[in-house]
Amino acid sequence: MEQVIANGLYLGAQYALIALGLTLIFALMNVLNFAHGQMYVLGGFVTYEVYGLLHWPFVVALVASALTLAVLGALIERFLFRTVIKRSEREESTMLLAAGVAYFLDAAILLLFGEKQRGVHKILNGVFIWDNLILPWDRILVAGLAILFIVAFILMMQFTKPGRAMRALAQDRVAAQLMGVPVAFYGLIGFALGAMLAGLVGGLLVTITGVNSGIGGPISIKAFMMVMIGGAGVVGGAIAGGFILGMLESVGLTVLHAYGDITYLAIFVALMIFLAIRPNGLMGKPWG
Amino acid sequence: MRSRPSSFRFALLGLASVITLAAAAFPADAANKVLKIGFVGVTSGPAAAWGTSNVRSMQTLADWWNSTGGVKIGDDTYDIDVVTFDDQKDPKRAIAGMEKMAQEGIHYVVGPNVDDGAAAVRPVAEKSGIIYFPYAFPKELYTKPAANAVLGMVANYQSGPAIYKYLKENKGVKTIAFVAANESDPLSQRDGGVAAAKALGLDVVADKDTYQNDTRDFTPVLTPIVKLNPDLLVLSGVAPANAPLLIRSARELGYKGLISTETAQDAKVLEEGAGELANGFISVGGASTPEIRSKSMDEFIDRYTKKFGEYNDESNTKIYALQYIVDTLKADPKAIDSIDEFKKTMDSFSAPNPYLKDSSATLHYVGTTSFGQKRQLAVPLVVNEYEDGKFKTLFIANVD
Amino acid sequence: MTPMQRGTRIAGIGAFLVVVFIAVPMAIAAAHRTDLYYTLSSVALLSIASGGVWLTFYIGRINIGQGAFALVGGYVSAILVTAYGLSFWLSLPLAGLFCAAASVLVGLPILRLRGVYFAMVTLVLTEVARLSALALSVTNGAKGITSIPAPGPIGLFGLTIVPAFDTFAERNVAFYFLSVTVMALCFAGLWRLVNSRVGRLFAALRQNEDLASSMGLNVPALRVLAYAISSFLGGVGGAIFVAIAQSIYPSSFTVNDSVNFMLNCFLGGLGYVFGPMLGTLVLYFGWDLLFQTGQYQLLIYSGVMILLILLLPNGLFSLRLPSRRSS
Repeated sequence: MEQVIANGLYLGAQYALIALGLTLIFALMNVLNFAHGQMYVLGGFVTYEVYGLLHWPFVVALVASALTLAVLGALIERFLFRTVIKRSEREESTMLLAAGVAYFLDAAILLLFGEKQRGVHKILNGVFIWDNLILPWDRILVAGLAILFIVAFILMMQFTKPGRAMRALAQDRVAAQLMGVPVAFYGLIGFALGAMLAGLVGGLLVTITGVNSGIGGPISIKAFMMVMIGGAGVVGGAIAGGFILGMLESVGLTVLHAYGDITYLAIFVALMIFLAIRPNGLMGKPWG
Repeated sequence: MRSRPSSFRFALLGLASVITLAAAAFPADAANKVLKIGFVGVTSGPAAAWGTSNVRSMQTLADWWNSTGGVKIGDDTYDIDVVTFDDQKDPKRAIAGMEKMAQEGIHYVVGPNVDDGAAAVRPVAEKSGIIYFPYAFPKELYTKPAANAVLGMVANYQSGPAIYKYLKENKGVKTIAFVAANESDPLSQRDGGVAAAKALGLDVVADKDTYQNDTRDFTPVLTPIVKLNPDLLVLSGVAPANAPLLIRSARELGYKGLISTETAQDAKVLEEGAGELANGFISVGGASTPEIRSKSMDEFIDRYTKKFGEYNDESNTKIYALQYIVDTLKADPKAIDSIDEFKKTMDSFSAPNPYLKDSSATLHYVGTTSFGQKRQLAVPLVVNEYEDGKFKTLFIANVD
Repeated sequence: MTPMQRGTRIAGIGAFLVVVFIAVPMAIAAAHRTDLYYTLSSVALLSIASGGVWLTFYIGRINIGQGAFALVGGYVSAILVTAYGLSFWLSLPLAGLFCAAASVLVGLPILRLRGVYFAMVTLVLTEVARLSALALSVTNGAKGITSIPAPGPIGLFGLTIVPAFDTFAERNVAFYFLSVTVMALCFAGLWRLVNSRVGRLFAALRQNEDLASSMGLNVPALRVLAYAISSFLGGVGGAIFVAIAQSIYPSSFTVNDSVNFMLNCFLGGLGYVFGPMLGTLVLYFGWDLLFQTGQYQLLIYSGVMILLILLLPNGLFSLRLPSRRSS
C-alpha cells in the first residue's frame, strides 16, 4: 500500500504542475487552451535536444524549455488570441483557435522532431528502497522539483506585483482595469507564464517518461480533467485536482486490479458523478 | 474538384483549394510509365510512428528502384509512384482514403494500420477491385468470403505461441502475465495471447490489467502485476512509444523476469527510453538482425537513413509489402489491371527473398493454416532480443 | 417576416435542394469523381451530428460529447441489424430514440453544469462510451461488430420504393442520397425548432437561465429536451455511418470526433442554424482536398484553420449573411 500511495503522490506532483499552467491561462483569459499538451511536448523536445543531444547541463535544458515556451506563449497571445477575443461575439470561439493552434503545433513538432518516442539517459541512477517501498532516485528528484516549482509559483502569485495584478485580473477583469492594472500586458505575461509552466514540466518529465510528438492532445485532456476536479481557474483547485487524479489512478489501478478492463471506466464514471454533485469542482467559482 | 457542391455560399473554399492546386502540381517523369501504389494509414497523431515507418519504407524502396531505371513488369518499365493518404487512425477517414485510391485507379494499397480501419475499408476495396495489405490481425479480414485483404506481417496468434513455447522450453517460464492498452487492437491481441498461453499449459496470473494509451507513467499500472512476480510479462500489442516506459517502470519496481511483445519495436527508441533496463527484452522483427540480413537490406537501411535522417527498425517488416506487390506483378504482368489475376498468382507465387542472407529463402504467400487461404505475406518471423542498443536473433520461425 | 424575405428564403432553400440533389450528382458524373460521393455523404452525416451539438450551443452549453451518442447510435443499429435481424430502416429511428432516451438519463444530472465544466464532463462521457463498448459483451468488446449487411429494400404495399443497397452498381450513390435526404430533413427540423416558441425559450436559456427560471419556465425540462434532440441527431448520424462502413468498433467515434463536431459549429458560426453544415464541409472536405500535400497536410490544414478564425472569428456565415438569426 505504501507503494500505491507513493505512486499517487509522485503522479500527483507532476499532474499538478501540468494543470497549473492550464488553469492560469483559463483564469486570466477565459481561454481553454487546447494546445497546452502540445506546449508540454515542445518543452520536452527542447530539453531532449539540449540535454540529450547536445549534452549540456540539465538545468540549462530546463531553462531553455521554459524560455522557448514563454516566448511562444507570448507570441500566441499577442497575435492570435488577443485578436480573436477582441473580435468575436462569444468568447467560446477561442476554443476553435486553441484547437487550431494545437493542430498546428502537432504538425510542426512532427515535422521538426519526427514520429519516434524520444528519451534521455537517466539524470540520477539508483533506487531508494525502504521496506516495501521502491522509488528510483530520479523520480524523487523530479517530484521534488515539481513541488518546488509549484511552491515558487504560489509565492510569486501571492507576494510579487505581477502576481497580485494577475490575481486581480482573474477575479474581475473590469475592476482590475479600472484600478489601473495594465490588463493587456498582464494577460500577455500570464499566457507566457502558463505556457512556460507547460514547457517546464515537459522538460522535467522527459527524463522519466520521454516524449513523443503525438501525446499533446491526450495530455491536454488529462489536464482538463484535473482542472475540472479542482475547480477551473483556481490555483489551489488545479493542485488539488492533480493530486486527486494521481491518487485516483494509482489506487484505482490496484484496487480494481482484478477487474482490469473496467478500471478507467470506473474512474471516469466516478468523475462524472462527482461533478454532477459538485458542479464547480472542489473549489471553483460558478462560471456560466 | 469542379464537382464539389459549388453553391455561392461556399466561396470561402476557394482559399483552401488554391493552396491545394499549388501543391498538387508536382513534376512528372515522362520517361517510364508510372505505376501507382497506394498507402492508407496513420501518419499523424499519437500513432504516427506506425504509418510513418510504412510510408517511408515504401518511398525509400520506390526511389531506389526509380533511380536505377524503374522496374520491368512484362514488356514495360515502370516508375513507382507511392500515393499516400493519412487516415489519422479514424476508420471514417480510412474509407475516404480507399475511395481516393480507387479514384486514382490504384489496385494495390498498403494499410490501414489498425483493426477498425481495416474492417471499415473492406466494402470499398471489394467494390472497387483493390487488394489491400493491412497490419491488422482480425481473422475475419482474411478468411472467406473476404478475399481482398492480405496480412502484411506475422500475426500475434502466430508469433505468440512460438515465443511462449520457446521461453517455456528454454528459459523455464511457468507463469505469465499480460498487460495491454484499453483499445481494440491490443485487447484482441491480449486475448489471443492468453488463449495461446493456456493452450501451452502456462499459468496465466494476470490477464485483465489495462492502461489508457495516453499513460505516461506506468508505475501505478505495473505495481500490482510486479507483485505477482510472473516469469514472463507480455506487453500485448504495445505501441513502440510505450514499450520503453513499461519496461523501465517494471524494472525499477524490481521485476526480474522476462518481458516480451509480439509487435515490432525500434532499438533506438528502447535505448533512449529505457537504456540498459531494456536488455533482454524480446520482440519480433522482419529481416532485422545483422546475422540474417542481406546486402540489399543494408543498402535499404542506408538509403532510408540518408533520405529521412534516421532509420526505424519497424521498417524491417514493412519493407516487404511493396516488394511483394511488385514481384507478384512481375510474375504476372496482367495483374497490373486485374486483381483476379493477382489472386490467382498468389497461390503459386514464389520469388527469392532479397533481404535475407539465406539464398534459399523465398517470398511467397502463406496463411492456409490460419485463414484457410493464402492471404498473408511470408515475412520471416525473427524473434529478437534487445541487447545494448541492438537486436540479436533469438530464433527464427516460419508461418504456414 | 416580410413577403420579400420569405421569397428570398424559399428561393434559398430551393437553390440548396437543387444543388444537393441535382447539381452535385451531375457535377460528379461530369468530372468522374465518384469518390466524392463518400466524402460528401460523410460531410452530410457529420453535419447532422454537428447540428445536434449546435443545438446544445444554442441553449448555452459547450458540448464535447456528441461522439458518445454517435457511437451509441451506431452500436444500437448494428446490434439490432446483426443480432435481431431487424431492417436497417427500422433500426435508424430506434438508434436515434435510444440515444435520446439515454441522453435524458445522463443529461438530468450533468446539464446542471455550465461552461467548461459541462464541456469537460461531456468529453469524459465520450471516453466512457468508448470504454463501455470495450467492456460490454453485447457490443462484442474489442473485436467490434463486422460484416453488417447493407440496408435492404423498403417496400410499401408490395411496391419497392427504395431498392436494396446491394443492388446499386454504385452503392455510394445510394448512401449519398440517403445522407443528404436525412441531413435536409434534420436541418429543416432544426430550423423549424429554433424559430418556434420552444426555440425562443431555448434562446432565453442561453441568455440567462436564472431569469428564465424566475419567469416560470421549467428550465431543467427544456435543457433535457434540447439535449435529447441533440443526441437523437448524433445517434442517427452514427447509425448511417455504420451502415456505410458495415462495421463498428469502440474507436469508430472518439474524443477527436467529439471535438471536431464542436469545431464544425464554431467554424460555421454559432449564430446560424446552417453553420454546422458549412463548418463540416470546410473542415472535413478541406482535409481531403489537401491529401496530396503529404507530410505537410496537417500543417497547411491547421494554418488555414487559424487564418479563418482570425479573419472570421464569428464563423464563416458571418461573412455573407449580415442578417443573423439570433444574437
